[in-house]
Amino acid sequence: MLPAWLAIFPPSLRTPLSKLPVSVIESLEEVRIREARPLEISYGGRFAFLTPDGSLTGEHEAGYRPNREDCRAFLEKLTDHSLYAVEEELRRGYVTVAGGHRVGLAGRTVLDGGHVRHLRDVAAFNVRIARARIGSAASVLPELLDPIARTIRHTLLVSPPQQGKTTLLRDLARAISAGEWNHPSARGWRGRKVGIVDERSEIAACERGVPTFDLGPRTDVLDACPKAEGMMMLVRSMSPEVVAVDEIGRPEDAEALREALHAGVRVLATAHASDLADVFERPVLSSLAREGMFGAYVLLSRSGSEVRHRVIGSREAEEEGLRRRRGSWNGVPRDAPRPELRSPPGDRDPGADRPEGTPGLAIKARALPLIRSPASREGGEAP
Amino acid sequence: MIKLIGAALVLFAGTMLGYLQAARFAERPKQIRHLLHALQRLETEIGYGQTPLPEALARMAGVLPETLAVLFRRIADELRSSSGETVKNAWERILSEGWPTTAMKAGEKEAMLRLGSSLGGSGRDDQLKHVRLAVLQLQAEETSAREDQMKYERLSRSLGVLGAALVVILMM
Repeated sequence: MLPAWLAIFPPSLRTPLSKLPVSVIESLEEVRIREARPLEISYGGRFAFLTPDGSLTGEHEAGYRPNREDCRAFLEKLTDHSLYAVEEELRRGYVTVAGGHRVGLAGRTVLDGGHVRHLRDVAAFNVRIARARIGSAASVLPELLDPIARTIRHTLLVSPPQQGKTTLLRDLARAISAGEWNHPSARGWRGRKVGIVDERSEIAACERGVPTFDLGPRTDVLDACPKAEGMMMLVRSMSPEVVAVDEIGRPEDAEALREALHAGVRVLATAHASDLADVFERPVLSSLAREGMFGAYVLLSRSGSEVRHRVIGSREAEEEGLRRRRGSWNGVPRDAPRPELRSPPGDRDPGADRPEGTPGLAIKARALPLIRSPASREGGEAP
Repeated sequence: MIKLIGAALVLFAGTMLGYLQAARFAERPKQIRHLLHALQRLETEIGYGQTPLPEALARMAGVLPETLAVLFRRIADELRSSSGETVKNAWERILSEGWPTTAMKAGEKEAMLRLGSSLGGSGRDDQLKHVRLAVLQLQAEETSAREDQMKYERLSRSLGVLGAALVVILMM
């Protein structure tokens, strides 16, 4: 049973990809296609090159090199043969295909008055495979509850890219909307109305307005809408109790967040940052954080396919964010080459390639506190 | 007696050939006109609806008579399939295969093929330019097709009858 996303690849790329072992396909995170350079995949926190016959190798010389024709056919398929319909997305450098998989693009930009107007000669693609991890919110949600208001606190999910923010956000939205609070004192609470502003069509992966991911029974999605405008639209028209947005960071986002926060709506947002000190240094986020807007921060990090999280209250976060000046930057990309990486794909022991002491993690190297949740599963991986 | 039947058959066949040829001359400007309407539809789909190309082609097929609609529906299906064929290739292959079934000639085909080579591959304004260029070319072809029709439609009809008569006279 091959996954549906394989259909977006032209035959020359689909053949090697479809021959991957099932274990790799299931933990696949990215497929990176670069014209005239070897085809790369990253899976379960590792990366490897793909040979024409579909085997994995650490040697880039042996990798299959997609040619211009492959890339052209791929770009056409991604845009549904209609570049004219995705001009706006091209300007931002990504398109989202059916199933919520985001494909990042790189090529040569065409400028107009100093602004990027168009992307041409697209020669590099990064296909990020989106997955629903039903249940991944179960261990996080109990720590975000606001028992007096019987809902969640304003929450910011923080992590570097590719650590599972969107996946967690998606499942949190589902759990809140379905009323799966997973906490003894919340047994009588019902689900809450959730509104999602899905600017990149990643959270819900809507097709013709209908989400293809399970987002719970009480969720409304505003698809492909700019966050700032979308939040206000939702608050005005759809009476959500919780609003979920992905990747805030622009000044207008902050403005809209403030509006929503004061409109009696709980906000669930994500942001790129490697740790709390980062949050307090990014201009927009820091102004929000200093105002004490967020009631809880969730720091995500993962090693291999294991996702860890740490929930921090607002006061604690402020102290920590302001106290710590950053010494050296050590937010190493998760799949950065490590000396022992040359292992073939066959032996997929999740613990095998995780080095002790030097995790390529988001949070600076120090012990993570145990998660005190009723689910009490250290790790927070989907059950 | 047999001779007479033979003569009648030859006469009949010749007349039919002439009529067929005449019908082709009459059909060509009509089909070009249909194509022009369909391209206008495509222009709207691209310009205002920003409809993805497979969908736009299927809708374009909706306003065409069956002989032409089949071609565009086939292209749309090909693009929706996972064969990974580019618009340019699919367009070229299917139109070239299907062109002999239409009454249109090389000039129109060339205009359409040129349109296909750029369809879907650029921004909206550029696409509209290409569609309009194809429309202009087709309009020129339409004028010449109408002239041809005026000149040759009746001519080929009478030529069929008269040619057959000549054969009959020679046979007698």
